[in-house]
Amino acid sequence: MASEVASALLFYLVNGLIWGLIIALIALGLSFIFGVMGIVNMAHGDLYMLGAVFAYWIFSALGNFWLSLLIVPVAIGLLAAPTERLILRPFEGHPAVTMIATAGLSFILQQLVLMTYGGVPKELPMPLQGSFDFLGVAYPLYRLFIAALSLVIIASVWLFLHRTDYGILVRASMQDKEIASAMGINVNTVLVFTFVLGCVLAAVGGVLAAPVTQVFYLMGNDVILLCFIVVIIGGLGSLGGTLVAALVLGGVEGLLAYFLSPTGARAAVFAFMVGVLILRPQGLFGTQRG
Amino acid sequence: MPRGPRSLAMQTMAFCIFAMAYDLCFGYTNQCSLGHSVFFGVGAYGVVLSLLHLQSGILLGLLIAFVAGMVVAFLMGSICVRLTEAYFVIVTALFSAIFHLLSLDMTWLTGGDDGLSVTLPDISVGGVRLSLYDPMTNYYFILVFFLASYLLMRRITEAPLGKVFISIRENEKRAAFLGYDPFRYKLAAFVLSGAFTALAGSIYALTLRYATADLFGLYWSIIPIVWCLIGGVGTLVGPCIGVALMFFFQYYVSAWWTHYLILFGVLILVILRTSRKGLLGYLLGR
Repeated sequence: MASEVASALLFYLVNGLIWGLIIALIALGLSFIFGVMGIVNMAHGDLYMLGAVFAYWIFSALGNFWLSLLIVPVAIGLLAAPTERLILRPFEGHPAVTMIATAGLSFILQQLVLMTYGGVPKELPMPLQGSFDFLGVAYPLYRLFIAALSLVIIASVWLFLHRTDYGILVRASMQDKEIASAMGINVNTVLVFTFVLGCVLAAVGGVLAAPVTQVFYLMGNDVILLCFIVVIIGGLGSLGGTLVAALVLGGVEGLLAYFLSPTGARAAVFAFMVGVLILRPQGLFGTQRG
Repeated sequence: MPRGPRSLAMQTMAFCIFAMAYDLCFGYTNQCSLGHSVFFGVGAYGVVLSLLHLQSGILLGLLIAFVAGMVVAFLMGSICVRLTEAYFVIVTALFSAIFHLLSLDMTWLTGGDDGLSVTLPDISVGGVRLSLYDPMTNYYFILVFFLASYLLMRRITEAPLGKVFISIRENEKRAAFLGYDPFRYKLAAFVLSGAFTALAGSIYALTLRYATADLFGLYWSIIPIVWCLIGGVGTLVGPCIGVALMFFFQYYVSAWWTHYLILFGVLILVILRTSRKGLLGYLLGR
């Protein structure tokens, strides 16, 4: 009996942690976009939604889920680059203004998807069958794949930022755009690149989540607030902080979902986060000004 | 007055109260709250629940909603107002999310997604009985509250209190040096804003004759920012222009195109591109 409870708890915990990894992917993108260009991207959740919707389309057209992991980043990149350059550039650096502008974008994206994809939530079949025995719990293989791929992506983003020349340019622009440009860095392309990277991360999160959630034109609204919290709690621009915050949030929410209703669990997590932000307004790992 | 435009005008006036109240916080003291759906929902449920459970009259119900909004805003404000800009936005958004989730969960109190319907009792003022089921009475009823709110808020913003609000918006440090405690004044603006937002919510619930958990949703926190920015921040008339414009869109454009929100999104981008101060600011600045 006790072991049954323990294994059920473990199941919920792992579920929460995997959800946390997806959130971490999306939140990382959000953090880059805010850190480098000062855009509070209210449309970020909709990029996650777009990723999932594209995955659904690719699956129904080609019958293959895995192709979407290749096609979606390219498609989103092609969409995001002109958006940054042509639409968002004049607003950058004014957080409140970018918030409204991206809220406008969010309306546009959601309605475009509603027009073409429809308003009914749809489901994708599991691309990986089978399960994996883990401490007496049969765990679906695909969810483990999500975890593995997310970790690989997050690790490569870290390697990119800290071990490549272009990563240094991005970090320099994050610290001070003007000085970076005075040092001869082409901040223009860095901005476009960062925005594309951030959007692609969110979209890949959407692709990964598509088979385990319902694909719906408003699904972005479910994650956007969670991602903002993760970014703030983890500390802006801190990759490790974002990851830890997302995992803690996901894990706690997963565990609480066993005791409370899912909405109750989320409300409890949010209430906890209010407490954290009041006690440590610089975030758990952040060192910047409060 | 024909039926369509009249019901449009009634909703517009309810939202104008909301927009002006929001600007009291956003435009006058520069606090970009994402938590105003809390007050909107509290106001709506305040009046609906007091009609259902306390059998209070409509006027008493509105008063209860107003005071409830004030109390909730005071409690929330004493936590949030001290925080700096980004944290203020996030924590208020968290409050909005918490209220929304709880209202979805506590169906015994709120009716959840389906909401609670209510039948409106007659109002008796000085021996005259008025029924809000009569459309023209309902119209004038809302008009009275709209005008009263406008005059009250104009009185507040033109009083010394309003000048302190503006001075805090322009330069918080200097206002503090002059002896005005920014926290107290920002909290005052937040509480006033919350109370009038609750009033707007309760009037909206009366026109709908029900309240649902949806009123706590993030949508109702974002939309007032849009109204203010479109119409003009830092004024009382500007937000009303924003509401009217948005409703014109919702009503007339949605009639021939259901996806009018796309146009609305484009409109937001265009207005932000032409003038950050909104339509009113653009017209005045010419």
